[in-house]
Amino acid sequence: MFAFSPLRPPLPRDLAASLRPHTLAKSRVLPLGEPWKALVPGGGLRRGATVVVEAPAGQGGFSLALSLLTASSANGHWAGVVGVDDPGVLAMAELGVDLRRVLFVPRPRGEWAESAADLLDGVDVLIVRPPSRASHGVARNVMDRVRERGTVLIVLTEPGAAWPLPPDLSFVITESRWVTSSRLDARYLRVRIAGRGEAARAGEHVVVLPNRRGRAAAT
Amino acid sequence: MERLLALWIEALATDEADGSTLRDSLALLDALESWCPFSDLVRLGLYVLPLRGPSRFFGGEDEVMKMASATVRDVTGHDAHLGVADGLFCAELAAREQRVVRVGATDDFRRAQPLEVLGNKELATTCRRLGLYTVGSFADLAAARVGERFSTQALELHRVARGELEELPGQRDPRLRARLDHLRGQRATRTEQLGLFGDRGAGDDRAFAAAHRVRRRLGADALLVASLRGGRVPEDRAALVPWGSPIVEEKTEAPWPGRIRSPSPATSLAHPVAVRLHDEHDLPVLLSARGLLSAEPATLLLTHYARRKVGWYAGPWPLVERWWVLGRRRAYLQVVLALGEAVLLVAESERWWLVGIYD
Repeated sequence: MFAFSPLRPPLPRDLAASLRPHTLAKSRVLPLGEPWKALVPGGGLRRGATVVVEAPAGQGGFSLALSLLTASSANGHWAGVVGVDDPGVLAMAELGVDLRRVLFVPRPRGEWAESAADLLDGVDVLIVRPPSRASHGVARNVMDRVRERGTVLIVLTEPGAAWPLPPDLSFVITESRWVTSSRLDARYLRVRIAGRGEAARAGEHVVVLPNRRGRAAAT
Repeated sequence: MERLLALWIEALATDEADGSTLRDSLALLDALESWCPFSDLVRLGLYVLPLRGPSRFFGGEDEVMKMASATVRDVTGHDAHLGVADGLFCAELAAREQRVVRVGATDDFRRAQPLEVLGNKELATTCRRLGLYTVGSFADLAAARVGERFSTQALELHRVARGELEELPGQRDPRLRARLDHLRGQRATRTEQLGLFGDRGAGDDRAFAAAHRVRRRLGADALLVASLRGGRVPEDRAALVPWGSPIVEEKTEAPWPGRIRSPSPATSLAHPVAVRLHDEHDLPVLLSARGLLSAEPATLLLTHYARRKVGWYAGPWPLVERWWVLGRRRAYLQVVLALGEAVLLVAESERWWLVGIYD
């Protein structure tokens, strides 16, 4: 049956009761879960901010970005993911992201910035992975629109294809190591976190991401 | 009588008023059934799995027991007491004692049990007065004598004691199946495309509008949402589908049904990519019919030119699809490459596919 159909069966009562409230006060800061709450200046993601997550390919950058969604997702906020092909839905669920409120545009066909613009008004947090180094002009444009709309933008970059403008917050993965037994158990990430205009200097922290259950955690 | 693996989980034995026990029990049953199709929830807290078939496929009873323990822990966070014996009655007793009864030794095991295990206090008391303390001594009484001396219920217990009945009266909860089916039925109505629920609030409307903007610009299949089809093991049916597409209830064969334990890879390829895995002599590594690797993997060839040294690997684990269908031997391998990236591979005899990247 069509998802939009009025003939859709009503939700079972216990499920309906568990859904989050839809009208959310527009807070200035979106919440962060473990382990970021204690590590990020301000303990949350300021609306309108641009966050850069930099990591070498395959070293946990996407997982880290997803882990920044967890708390706001659980609080009923919508999220978008643009330009990430084959996102692991199970991994997202394990991290604690509420998949009921995520929109995916895995293949924006060369129009990642336009797709981001399309989604800006509909989501509170947006993860984008530009296919190559973004130009100064495009970056400026996106950051301005994000600030205007009050969305949090999370940009995934790799060393050598950095975001051309200083972000409001950055996470740089400097080291990534798996703990293994008879299987992959957990990954330790060394992350340098820096906030723009923050009194605190950049801090380096080691986090577990993912742990055995697929969640992000402090060490 | 069939050789069974019993799982006794104390924490799931009490029926909580909020329905959590039943929900958790169903989740665990689904998870067990995903790799052992004839798993049975006998009563709350007690699961039973056939052992012979799975042992043959997974390479031994120990392996099956390990998988069962892990499944219980992963799904519920609790530990299970495991036991193996012939027939349901003895399998549960074995689980209580955390014992694996040797093949052929179930009779001795049963006979040595104290009478209390038959679950009838009166019977046990009467037997003790007669100098009978074990199930075996009770079993040795002639059936006619039992009829005289004891109640009619005792006759049934006598048959259990003699190994003629494999299930103790009251061991199974007769209403449980209906309760589980009812719960499954409720879950089936949740076959919803995620992102579209009940009463829509302002936030949802804005998200819808955003979705429409993308679709108008890029086409209907450019904007996707997660879809969890309700049913046996929802995790196995996690997929991305175009927003607003009709929910199709047919049994779509996802390329690699089945699950391995968390953590799952952050990149999960909808269309697995063929790769090659070579040993130190640069020869292909094969998956044998018994689910073993022909050699130690040394190099992963993503393309003809992109080679990555294998730093560590684990597996192969049989894919938990329909193991009883012969000839579809596939297995998972987790590999960490020299630079620290971890990937998930699937093998089918000599062919390998990349199915996940732990990014």
